[in-house]
Amino acid sequence: MSSTGRGVTSPLCFSSDPNSAPCPALNKYGGAREVHSDRLCNGKDFLRNSTFGFEKFERLSWSQIITNTTITVTDEPDTLFQKVSVLVKGHDRSVLDSYEFFATMAAKELGITLGNVFEPPKDVLRLTLLKSIHIFKKHRVQYEMRTHYRCLELFRLTGSTAQVYLEYIQRNLPEGVAMEVSKIAVAKVPEHILQPMWEEPTADNAPSPTADLKG
Amino acid sequence: MIDRCGVSPSPFLSQRSLVKSGTVWNNLGARGLHVTAVQCKNHAARIRVGKGDRGVTYEQALHPHHIGHRKGWLSQHPCNLKGEEGAADRALEDVFIRRFMFGTFHGCLANEVVIKRRGNLLIVCALMLQKLPPQKFYFLTGYTESLLSHFYKCPVKLEIQTLQKQAVYKYL
Repeated sequence: MSSTGRGVTSPLCFSSDPNSAPCPALNKYGGAREVHSDRLCNGKDFLRNSTFGFEKFERLSWSQIITNTTITVTDEPDTLFQKVSVLVKGHDRSVLDSYEFFATMAAKELGITLGNVFEPPKDVLRLTLLKSIHIFKKHRVQYEMRTHYRCLELFRLTGSTAQVYLEYIQRNLPEGVAMEVSKIAVAKVPEHILQPMWEEPTADNAPSPTADLKG
Repeated sequence: MIDRCGVSPSPFLSQRSLVKSGTVWNNLGARGLHVTAVQCKNHAARIRVGKGDRGVTYEQALHPHHIGHRKGWLSQHPCNLKGEEGAADRALEDVFIRRFMFGTFHGCLANEVVIKRRGNLLIVCALMLQKLPPQKFYFLTGYTESLLSHFYKCPVKLEIQTLQKQAVYKYL
């Protein structure tokens, strides 16, 4: 499969949250980095391990941030994805409903082919504990934790499209919602296995390895 | 077999084993039989109905089984979902933040503190009464934000809304 697209990487630096209260100077959380997340959740550990550091907490103005963002254009071919599957998990079904509406609208605006958007069945974790601290075995109390899911499937994307779309989706992920992204990439078949071995003419006089098999 | 009762065992022997062994013993150490339904009642996060003079907020008025149906969550993070880690650390942080807020804005908190986590960002939302002048609120907000961000090594944002009076949902 020939891939003619050029790879475009646009490392964006994380500016302050657009939904937050307006402040006079914008905070810069860290340096520029590319998003290569296959699994992102709204916890701290994912971003803690990356180049973000509290030491880089500076105050920058808008013009400084705009000059810092560089869009690099390279000649290496862009990765092609057959399918990008986004699974969103949350405790609240209505939050996932609204997030699905937002994500599907964003995909339509960007012209990304959307596959089926479905809701896998929920998972419930139930704990049955004793109600009293001492005796009364017959009286128990039950707690449960429900995890609702929503799955979005996107087909035939380029790497840069996927990067931009996922970054947009992830920046607007609501609190208490986790996301798992799985990508299926399409790669070119390596040249040495394009032709079967027994059809290749052997240059040297050494017996071909398939002679014993055929004979 | 007596159902729903709390029988305090005698310190020497139980009733049944006395009968079985056939010995003639007086239950000198046996205590009384309590047959009550008290231990079956739920007491978690509930304010019992009283005389009608105690004002109660929406959060306090609804019982814990209404969470997810009529009530929301006070602390929103993805670590309690299936397949996610870090729930214990977040719970500990939440406890500390609530105590910290209660102490810093002493007497001003109108309702429970709501804690949200979006990526690296920690957002603490609180409803306050207008007991202090606004300059003191601004100072305490900045103090809380910088101190908590130094503790947890992540940006902390405080979102405060002030009310003149306590927002009462009903009187119990």
